[in-house]
Amino acid sequence: MMKKINYPSFSRIFPCLIVSLLLITSCKQNHSGQKHTSAKTGSAEIKYAKGFNIDYYDHYKLVSIYSGMGAKPDTVQYVLLAKGVKAPEGYKKAQLIEIPVKSLVAMSSMHIALADFVGAADAITGLGSLKYVSSETVRKNIAAGKVKEVGIDGTMNDEVLISMKPGLVMVMGSPDAKFSKYETLSGAGVPVMLNSEWLETTPLGRAEWVKLMAALMDREKFVNTKFDALEKEYKRLAAIGAKAVNKPSLICGMPYKGTWYVPDGDSYMVQFLKDAGTTYNWANIHGKGSLPLSFEAVAPVALKADFWLNVGTVDSKNDIKAIDSRYAEFKPFKDNHIFNFNKKVNDIGSNDYWESGAVNPQLVLGDLIRIFHPELLPDHQLVYYKQLN
Amino acid sequence: MNKIKVSVLLAILLVAFLLDVALGSVDIPLKEVIKALFTSGSGNDTWIYIIEQIRLPKALTAIIVGCGLSVSGLQMQTLFRNPLAGPSVLGITAGASLGVALVMLSAGSITSLYTIKELGISGSWLIITASSLGAALIMILIVSISSSLKDNVIVLIVGVMIGNITLSLISIWQYFSSPELIKDYLLWTFGSLGGVTGGQLTILAVVVAAGLLISFLSSKLLDALLLGDNYARSMGLTVKRARILIIGSTSILAGGITAFCGPIGFIGIAVPHLARALFNTSNHRVLIPACCLIGTVLMLICDIVAQLPGSQTVLPINVITALVGSPVVIWIIAGPTKLRGF
Repeated sequence: MMKKINYPSFSRIFPCLIVSLLLITSCKQNHSGQKHTSAKTGSAEIKYAKGFNIDYYDHYKLVSIYSGMGAKPDTVQYVLLAKGVKAPEGYKKAQLIEIPVKSLVAMSSMHIALADFVGAADAITGLGSLKYVSSETVRKNIAAGKVKEVGIDGTMNDEVLISMKPGLVMVMGSPDAKFSKYETLSGAGVPVMLNSEWLETTPLGRAEWVKLMAALMDREKFVNTKFDALEKEYKRLAAIGAKAVNKPSLICGMPYKGTWYVPDGDSYMVQFLKDAGTTYNWANIHGKGSLPLSFEAVAPVALKADFWLNVGTVDSKNDIKAIDSRYAEFKPFKDNHIFNFNKKVNDIGSNDYWESGAVNPQLVLGDLIRIFHPELLPDHQLVYYKQLN
Repeated sequence: MNKIKVSVLLAILLVAFLLDVALGSVDIPLKEVIKALFTSGSGNDTWIYIIEQIRLPKALTAIIVGCGLSVSGLQMQTLFRNPLAGPSVLGITAGASLGVALVMLSAGSITSLYTIKELGISGSWLIITASSLGAALIMILIVSISSSLKDNVIVLIVGVMIGNITLSLISIWQYFSSPELIKDYLLWTFGSLGGVTGGQLTILAVVVAAGLLISFLSSKLLDALLLGDNYARSMGLTVKRARILIIGSTSILAGGITAFCGPIGFIGIAVPHLARALFNTSNHRVLIPACCLIGTVLMLICDIVAQLPGSQTVLPINVITALVGSPVVIWIIAGPTKLRGF
């Protein structure tokens, strides 16, 4: 049975439609670090962070945020002014922010942590999602109906945001976040700030973003004191980690459907691992995010590693085995050396590791040293980590 | 003549299978690979683990997927008498995805957690059931609409539209889900042969074998349907019952495979055409085994390409099947208009 087919011309578009559905984009950031100058006054000195800078002038502060990818990072400037102060000349492109910010919309757990750290959690009036909050203050305000949900990053409800008239919207700066994405908001007079803290290469650099929040809230002095204390403690612990004689090997994360994302060598996570006195197999891979490897590429390391960290949303060894029985062959599984960062998960399922953990690197490092070298910190109680049995 | 073709295909299959197990991110000498495959464990533990626990299950999954998707595509093309039909085009895969999304993105709600704990096998049966039900739902919808439509092109449009509606529902669901679950689901949609092991592989093999058995048994029905509903009726065939049987087996095949490997595209459309062209027949008793053979070879080759031998990364299988499958689809539309069996 043979028949000649004459296709109507519009049937030609279907394969194209289907092909376009399957286009997969991948992003690999290549964020070039900017050299920044120190602040002119002693108000906030940036020592570790590479993603932003603050310059202090007589009547205003100038914040520069470096975001974007490639050789030409996208620099966005903000002029921070007290109420009633006339805007300075020469900053045509800069957005104006009235400080101290009275109402802040935060798009990530990290931003909540920043506000909490500087004692300004009450200023949060909007969140991307109300489901991921650990801060007691913010949760109380949510219960009291003082915090609006504005939709997760990328699908924010501009109308709700504009009608809220917040003093600032802080969004997550991804490697390819172009500022143009938020022109509707900034055009309506709502300042939007990109925050790419996760591109910092050191835990202290990431935590130092609290100084940006301090500048927004006029709390530099208070925050400097707090930050100096945590910095001192972090350095004390890192010196202990550096003294470790044996450097146990480890793997991080959990493969999914044959792909295993491991932290890149330049990421802040790997700096944690170095400071905790460990041997990390991919420490020399340049990049600040994570590396998608095949299960097979990681397996030889996983089979012989001493520890297994950050296994995601699982709670026991049985859970891990249920996901894939092949993981039971790993040495850390047999030795009971699996540790996960989900000790502080609250009743609504929000993990405080991603919130307060981001601005308390000294606590995270303490946990890690206690895990890898119990003899060096015998009295340390794990804060964010727990052992899986 | 056919015997020679089958022998050549079998030879290619064997070579492709060996290569698929021999090549990967980690360099393992061929001698060791063959030793690991045919003798019991001795030698380098890491190599044995990689071959037995990672590469072999993946190659076996490729074989199962190649058979299942090709045959389900063939059945769809016959049922709709449309050369562009296939499980992924008509929204069946989208239906299966909806089922999986319901299970995956609601993990955390009491019902699904309870079921997963109750069922054991890490919820494999739950996912496969949800996926098959989703696929069947969309299939039944399309067939019931298509029974009142005469024009195959319109049926195809309806299928694509229903697929879009299904994908929208999934998007809404994703919008309200937690980032981790969304990431899991997104990675699942990229398709993968590497996540199926042990008990899951057994389940998948049983399900696909059942679907293939129904297909083989209904090859006569398929032959009759190819000549048109009226002709089939004159041969004493209950068209409705035949349709239900074919829908059933296609849903089991597409649903089962989609559940474990994600929505893998193009194989279902491209392979039946290759089979018709190669064996020059529209007889389903020949076409079904031919589809199994060609589909398996194609999937194994796609998997070899996807794991980029020697590199540390692995590409999603969907990217590769699309790269291989698209030219075939283009050839169908723009190439020679003499299409076998339609």
